[in-house]
Amino acid sequence: MNESVSPLTSERQASPPQKSRLRRIARALLQGDRPYALYGAFAILLVVFSFASPWFLSIDNFLNIGRQTALVSIIAIGMTFVIIARQIDLSVGSTLALSGMSAALAMTYLGNNWVIGALAGIGTGAIVGAINGIVTTRVNIPSFLVTLGTLSAARGLALMVTTTKPVIIDNDSFIAIFGEGDIFGVPVPIIWTVLAVIAGILLLHYSVFGRQIYAAGGNPTAALYSGINTRRVTTLAFILTGMLAGLAALVLSARSHAARPDVVQGMELDVIASVTLGGCSLFGGRGFVLGTLLGSLIIGTLNNGLVLLGVSSSLQLVIKGVIIVAAVAFTRK
Amino acid sequence: MSEPVAVAAASSPQVPLIRVAGVTKRFGGVQALRGVDLEVFPGEVHALLGENGAGKSTLIKILSGVHAYDDGVIEIAGHKVTFDSPAQSRDAGVAVVYQDLSLVESLSVGANLMLGREPRTRLGFVKNRQLMATVGEFLRSHGIPLHPKTPVGALPFAYRQMTEICKALMGDVRVLILDEPTSALTGGEEQILFDAIRAVTARGVGVIYVTHRLNEVFRISQRVTVFRDGANAGTFDTAKTDMKQLVAAIVGSGHAALQARQKTAVGDGAISREPASASAIAEAAADTTVAPVLKLSNVSNDRLRHVDLLLRRGEIHGLAGLIGSGRTEILQTIFGLRSVDAGAIEIDGRARARITPAEAIQLGVALVPEDRHLEGLVLDHSIERNLTLPRLAHFSRWGWLRSQAAVQQARRSMKELSVKAPGPSTAVKFLSGGNQQKVVFAKWNHPRPRVLLLDEPTVGVDVGAREEIYGVVNHAAHAGTGVLVVSSDLDELLRLCDRISIVADGSIVKTVERAELANAEALHHLIQPSRSSIEAQAI
Repeated sequence: MNESVSPLTSERQASPPQKSRLRRIARALLQGDRPYALYGAFAILLVVFSFASPWFLSIDNFLNIGRQTALVSIIAIGMTFVIIARQIDLSVGSTLALSGMSAALAMTYLGNNWVIGALAGIGTGAIVGAINGIVTTRVNIPSFLVTLGTLSAARGLALMVTTTKPVIIDNDSFIAIFGEGDIFGVPVPIIWTVLAVIAGILLLHYSVFGRQIYAAGGNPTAALYSGINTRRVTTLAFILTGMLAGLAALVLSARSHAARPDVVQGMELDVIASVTLGGCSLFGGRGFVLGTLLGSLIIGTLNNGLVLLGVSSSLQLVIKGVIIVAAVAFTRK
Repeated sequence: MSEPVAVAAASSPQVPLIRVAGVTKRFGGVQALRGVDLEVFPGEVHALLGENGAGKSTLIKILSGVHAYDDGVIEIAGHKVTFDSPAQSRDAGVAVVYQDLSLVESLSVGANLMLGREPRTRLGFVKNRQLMATVGEFLRSHGIPLHPKTPVGALPFAYRQMTEICKALMGDVRVLILDEPTSALTGGEEQILFDAIRAVTARGVGVIYVTHRLNEVFRISQRVTVFRDGANAGTFDTAKTDMKQLVAAIVGSGHAALQARQKTAVGDGAISREPASASAIAEAAADTTVAPVLKLSNVSNDRLRHVDLLLRRGEIHGLAGLIGSGRTEILQTIFGLRSVDAGAIEIDGRARARITPAEAIQLGVALVPEDRHLEGLVLDHSIERNLTLPRLAHFSRWGWLRSQAAVQQARRSMKELSVKAPGPSTAVKFLSGGNQQKVVFAKWNHPRPRVLLLDEPTVGVDVGAREEIYGVVNHAAHAGTGVLVVSSDLDELLRLCDRISIVADGSIVKTVERAELANAEALHHLIQPSRSSIEAQAI
């Protein structure tokens, strides 16, 4: 709509840049076609729970929601890239478990230093992501099947390395940096989420790589015919997701002071739900980072609110399932 | 199958099969149809012409029950009808074959034709043998050279389309609507289609034939109606009209480009390029001292056999041949989409044994692919996103996008190629075919490519946009770009090219100077090996 007048105003745009820059920032935040329904849904959710529960509307509770959703949010940023590239990654939960074990074992056996743990955890995630990406694009197997394989294999490896026993993490700086510390009262898991979101926005909406991801998912053939190495781009999206699963593993293991091989089973469903709820098209080429964050927050808020209302956990699952499908149906055209 | 139609045709030839009178349609603020009339009689082929946006597609969608109309009357065999759904239109005997085929490629011709109405046993199993026999009988009686058991995916495009037409004809069809049926066919295949249409009209079916190609109107239709700006611009007896009159009706009187178009739109007879540009380019192309921008020596791969080709600066070189002859594959190989098994490709003097599309682009090669929806554009994305795609490196620093530069470049390219759209952020899917094709061209406008590869550059593009695209191509050649054009439209090749190479079975069998060819007829004979070899390929 704005564009129809822009040829006339293009010369004037140079002189008062303030306003157009503001508008550009606003548009960047609203990247995507129809985020308004999503914002509305989130707002309604907040209002409903605020009235329904006296404990809901408090800073403590919001920090709580942020902490609880951090893992899903962080991984969902990566999944946004994968899904925009018209792929799927089912292995993120298992990748997280394996990365956590890898980080804890590295600190136990290679040196009790948080840097070693971080590199081992994120590196392991990157390796799993690379395997997902390379097998998908080079052997030409649908990523649904490839990552279904790594979902099982990575979990098996995580269980194998210690014959299913957890590994204790005894490193205060690691625990502070990734799990229990806070900056001005904001818990570090939330800080990491925000950093992941910012990096995701920059990469997806302001970098060449982001453009290539959109093109590779929007029309892989047209992307190829435009000289884009779609295999490389797609593989990078999987690696990014693996690395973010590794980061999430650091956060989780730091908070529980241990890495356990059997954590977050079924987490991929929450992650994929967040991404699709956030406006990503499963047919590729469409989606935006902030939408994903919002999707994740909606699911997190729903979980939190239902607990505060004392809804039984079985009923919670049913309500969550219905609301996710309904919300996606509503936010589509 | 078409028994009732034949009876109706015999008893009352004066009652039109379909009569459209004063039909209007408005989409929001756009008046798509301002009251159009159209009559089709039994056994008639009625051509429907008009530029994109003239209202042809809207009328087709109304007749096929996709859209409702606002005002006016539609009668089928004298009975007033309104269609609320495609099914009702279908039941009334209207069948439409769209440009995009709706076949299941993994199924056989027979299974496709009977899809959804398979003969069944009492337990619900499909009686396959009976199905194949029914379809075989249908194909034989219509004189269609298809085998019911051939998988559709294995057929060349012309035969897929024929399958689609047959599918439309299964059942009691009175009116068959063909939407640009020849847009992807070569000369020989066109004849196959026309034979099929004649077989159909002989049975009393009326055909509405929508096309952009004027010479077809004279080959197949009895009458022709022209739409302009959502209204009738005239209905003519084909025998009593000529190319000039039709072009005038299509573009309207007082149109600036009319003069030029009339000169160029003339069919098989005299096709001439503007004398100035023709001589200038011919001069450059004929000068053998000009270094070639592209040289293929003895290139072979899975689809090509010993291809030799020389493209000079400023030359427009045509590749003519049947579909499946390897024309497209030559372009794809040059662009790095297919590997080279033997031989060498030299681009601007630099030999390359192995090349990726990204490297080809870097060397100055540009490809406008055959299917803009499938290969040329990301339809959901904006014009700007599509335009910057091949040259993202130009619009970035350290991997970060310079979005202002990209938008500015998009604006400039849109202006240069006069892409009609609200702005660079408009999604490409909202543009007309001609404007979409201009966007594909604009992707390669800056910097100017050394080698421009064009694959069917004006398919599904209206007369006006086609002229503009020819202008762009000629302009590029003037500026020194070597252009390689694949086209099934022989008039187009004759208009554009300095030299034309004939492609058959994956190799170049002959290269001729434009001056050696008197008309499309002469070119047609060069690329026609024999009917039987095409049919052998199909079955």
